This record gives sequence, structure tokens and C-alpha cells, in this order.
Amino acid sequence: MHQPGETPGNGDGGLPTKAWDGTTAPAEPPPLEAIGLGRRFGTRWVLWGLDFSAPAGQCVAIIGANGSGKTTLLRCLAGLLRPHAGQVRWFGHLAGKVELRGRMGFVGHESGLYAQLSVLENLRFAARMYGVSDPAGRAEQLAAQAGLAAYAHCRVAQLSQGMRQRAALARALVHSPRVVLWDEPFVGLDTQATDWLAGQLEALRRRGCTLCFSTHELHRAWQLADRVLALSAGRLQPASPPDASPHQEGAGVPQATSPPQGLVKRLAAAGCRVAGRAA
Amino acid sequence: MRKLVCLVTKDLVSEWRMPRLWPAMALVGLVVAASLTLPLEVLPEQKRQLGPALLWVAILLAAMLAVERSFASEREEGAWEAVRMYPVGMGTVYLAKLLSNALAVAGLEALLFPLFSALTDLPVAAHPGGLVAVAVLGNLAITSLGTLLGALVLGLRHLPGASALLVLPAGVPVVLAAAEATRLAAEPLLAQAFWRWVQYLGVFAAVFIAAGIVLVDFAVEE
Repeated sequence: MHQPGETPGNGDGGLPTKAWDGTTAPAEPPPLEAIGLGRRFGTRWVLWGLDFSAPAGQCVAIIGANGSGKTTLLRCLAGLLRPHAGQVRWFGHLAGKVELRGRMGFVGHESGLYAQLSVLENLRFAARMYGVSDPAGRAEQLAAQAGLAAYAHCRVAQLSQGMRQRAALARALVHSPRVVLWDEPFVGLDTQATDWLAGQLEALRRRGCTLCFSTHELHRAWQLADRVLALSAGRLQPASPPDASPHQEGAGVPQATSPPQGLVKRLAAAGCRVAGRAA
Repeated sequence: MRKLVCLVTKDLVSEWRMPRLWPAMALVGLVVAASLTLPLEVLPEQKRQLGPALLWVAILLAAMLAVERSFASEREEGAWEAVRMYPVGMGTVYLAKLLSNALAVAGLEALLFPLFSALTDLPVAAHPGGLVAVAVLGNLAITSLGTLLGALVLGLRHLPGASALLVLPAGVPVVLAAAEATRLAAEPLLAQAFWRWVQYLGVFAAVFIAAGIVLVDFAVEE
């Protein structure tokens, strides 16, 4: 674990901060940047000397073990936690500026919605707070895109976890942000909701939105992201692809192992297909 | 201004759909009022002295409950994080919460003033304008202080009731000033002393509101 007092080096796996395509730094500052970021809880430094940069339109996945600081990192990047060392910058300016919040979207572990308001009311409220020109129309459009048209007038307290995730994403996108930060988007979702969410992230990528999300699902990270970084010991390093040996040095998270053969046979007998194996 | 109205409307609609504030506030007020009906050997004149003080103690306790519960709705579902990401200054958010809480406390005052007046034979309708000034300024002073401290403890997940404790030391002078002004408002003639207490309440309200607008950014910072 790196300690304060050490010279904070480049915590992005040794990669210098540069444009995604490897050429010299672009004239415009990156939408999201952390320079020597440090954050502690009490005397324990969770992040230290962390350097990170996400150029416009890039999708970055952050993986790491439980307690490695993924949520802390994303909240620092969102401006919700004040760094104890270093800086977070949005479009070249210090994070948290009120004028720049309209370009950022953040979805945390919780939905950020009001339980006693309906989906439409929550979306309209968010649209008004972001100064969207037609809040009601935008809310209806997003509710339909999120597959929530049938639940638009239901209170958030009555929705399932998957529906709340959809509503949370809709709320974060109501103002068409240029940067979206998402903390573990796939947690607690069934296959259908996960596929829908992956489709939404892909759509955001195609629209040129800069994405940064944390996840435990390695295959999703590699499937969706342009760059996968592992958070370990308070710093980011490039992560190994999922087909690498779990014991390979530098692998950020242990890989999934195959299910026991007895279980596979029982599942096959019941007509189920285990991933990668025929029924 | 539009965002302020939007925030206040959201709070009022949420409270209407799932009353958190009103039942608890009304209960506190009624319990304190009921203490006046206890068969204690208190002279009517002493009741008239005691009534305004108990009234404002009830309002202070109810206001602390209102603040605590209004921020509880922000804690649910991580809504407070979403608010901090909106392009709106925390001063505006503070004012919106203050207005929402003040409206809730105003409703309670509308219930308790006539009730205490009846129980203590205090002719509070003698000078309605003066009494309204005391009610409004006392309300703003208490809720502005409570709202700032409520925002401060919002991030302290393990101390959800801490705002109530923090309000008490600074709330006591407000209660003293409001109680004295209420008692003097029941006199046949409004003495000079009444306006002096009203001025104190005005100063408390102005100072606490200004402090809230300035300090709320630091209070909510994690």
C-alpha cells in the first residue's frame, strides 16, 4: 500500500496522460481528469497519487476487489467527495463548478430518485433542475426509451430494482450529459435488464459520450469499454483480459472458475445451457 | 427562482403523499399542550406566564423533528447525491429546504396558537399583526438554524438525530425571545419592550439565514 510521503508517481499503469489515439495531447482538455488524486478515510489512504484521464468519447471500465476504492474514486471524479490530495478536473476546470454540472451525469449505488414521486415526476423534476427546455416532453421521451412507459405514473417505491436502475439511468441522462459516471451499473439485475443496460452504455458510447463505470463483471468490462483499468493499492493499472491466467501478475481481479461437473450435468438434464457448453 | 420553486414543490408533494412531518409535529405540540391541562395547582396568572414559553418549546421541538424528517427523505435512494449534482447552488437548495420546513412549522403554529390561547386564557388575538410577526420571525429563526444543522448531519449516517441536539443551544435564546414577545403581544397595549423582542427575533432570523446560505456549502462537503 503506497503511503503519503512517497513521491506520487503516475498511477495510471505508467501511461502518460495523453490522447486516446496515442498522439500528442489534444488542444482541448479532457472531459475527465484526475491528477495526483488522494483520498483518505481517517488515517487510511484509499486513493493515493492516482492519475487518470478519459478523453472525449472514451469508455473506461474500472475493476477492483471489494474495498479497493472504486466507489470512492467515482465519487471523487463526480465532485461528491473532496480530494485530500491532488485534483479532479472537468474539461480543464476544477470539478464541482456549478456551471459545469450540466455536462456531467452520475449514477451511484442508489437511484437518486424520490420514492414518493412517480417516475415521470422524478424525471420532470430532474429536467427542470437541469434547465431542460421542455421538461415534460423530455421526461416522457426518456421514460419510453427506458422501457418505463407502463410504469411512468407508478411511484418509485413500487418499482423493482431493475426498473429503478432504468429510471436512475434515465434521470442521469435527462440533460444529455457529455460525461456519465456510473458505479456498478449491473449489480442486482437479471439477464434481461443487464442486456438492456449494456445496450444503453453502447448507445452512449456511439453518441460520443465519455463513460466511466465500475464493475465486477470482467467480461462486461472488456465487452463495453475501450480501456479497462484495475484499481489496486490506491492506484490504477491496466487490467489483464479475462482469458489471462488468474495468477498472472497485474491481474486486477481473480477470474471466475468453471462450475463443478456434477452441477453442469444436472443443469443440462434440466434443459439449461451453461455458458460455453452445449446442453 | 424557478429551481427554488421546483425544490419546494417537490418537498410539499412528497410530504402530502407520505406524511412524515405532520403527524410527529402535531403529536409533540399536543403532548406539550396537554401538560397545561394537568391538575397542578397553578394560578391562572402563572398559566398565562407559562403558556407562551411552553408554546415555543413545543414549536422548537416540532421544528427539530420537521428538519430531521425532511432530510430523511433526501437520504432515501441517494437523492441528496443527485441534488448535489444539479447545476444549482447549495444556497438555493438551503433556501428551498428552509421554506419547506418553515411552511410545515407555520401549519403547526396555526394549530397551536389558538389551542394554547384557549388553555391559558391568553388573549393572543389582542394584537394579531404583532403576533403574526412573532410567529413568522420565530419560525424563520428556528427553522433556518435547524435546516443548516440538518444539512450538516446529513452526511453523518451514524448520527441521524444529531441535528436536534445541535439546535438546542442556539435555539434557546430564540425560544426566550419568542416567548417573551408572545406574552407581551397579549397585553392590552403593545409596549416598547414588545418591539425590542421582535427586533431580536428579526436579528436571529437574519443572522441564521445568512449563515445558512454562506455555510451550507461547507456543511455538506464530504
